[in-house]
Amino acid sequence: MTELSDELLVAYVDGQLARKQTRAIDKVLEQDDVLEARVTALKHAHARLEAAFEAILAGEEAEISKVTVPPPDDGFWVPWRTFKIAAASTGIVLALGLAALGYGWPLSLPGAGPAPDIGVATGVGSGQGTGPASQVDLEVAPKPQIGP
Amino acid sequence: MLPRLKRFADVLGGGREAGRGLLRRALQYMLAEQHLYQRGTALDVWAFSEVYRQWRHELSGQADPMAHIKVDDVDFGTLFDIENESYRDEPVIAFLMGLPPQQRLSLLLVYGDGFEHEDAGRILDVSAEMIASRLIRMSASLSDRLNERPPAQAAAIVETLYPEGHRASP
Repeated sequence: MTELSDELLVAYVDGQLARKQTRAIDKVLEQDDVLEARVTALKHAHARLEAAFEAILAGEEAEISKVTVPPPDDGFWVPWRTFKIAAASTGIVLALGLAALGYGWPLSLPGAGPAPDIGVATGVGSGQGTGPASQVDLEVAPKPQIGP
Repeated sequence: MLPRLKRFADVLGGGREAGRGLLRRALQYMLAEQHLYQRGTALDVWAFSEVYRQWRHELSGQADPMAHIKVDDVDFGTLFDIENESYRDEPVIAFLMGLPPQQRLSLLLVYGDGFEHEDAGRILDVSAEMIASRLIRMSASLSDRLNERPPAQAAAIVETLYPEGHRASP
């Protein structure tokens, strides 16, 4: 039986040896069952360690993805939330359209008469009404003359 | 890199809660002192070493550091729980639990994160030779422990002492 230290065998398993040393150990392992069993045991231990560390990492990744990804919404073709917003918007637009059709534009309250005609005919809003009130000419009947 | 850093902090702190707090404090320090980062240093090596430095800094403020580094079995065990999977490698978990933090981290950095011995040494502030020496000792120890034959159960021994035909009647 060849004596090889654990130091050398662990370095061999970890791939830390030079190519020449690795080949030499490969040859020894072909002829020595005890050493081969030891190397297999070391490889097995490393594989289980790696699996244990992978398990922790999988837990961390799952925890982080839970925090960052929002839960999927329910719905048929679109999520319920989108559907609700779209329905509310459509309702508001429809209500405004119907109101405009029913009462004319600009809006006037029913029973309050026609909408005031703003501006053009009376000159209000065209700048004439902004100054002092215009002077009104009154027709004054001529004074009756008292004859002599 | 964040999940890897979190795993490092968890293994160092001995549980998810302790790891979360340690990582948060370390990241705050790293943000505040980011000017200390030297160009040319691998970012992951720097980040891991800052988490380890933070842990050592907090440990130095403890009245009883040895008591502080002792991990809680339950907290540490839950680190290995995976959703929808019931298998846990109990012998390996028990082995890791019994190790001092620095030795646990040497295993994690080399076999879990794939760092070279030099980088692992930089993170843990020791030489590459020290890392190699730790790995040899712990690999051999774990290998021996995993290859031990499980002790026979007491009930089984009694069964073989009193074979079926010679059992005394009650």
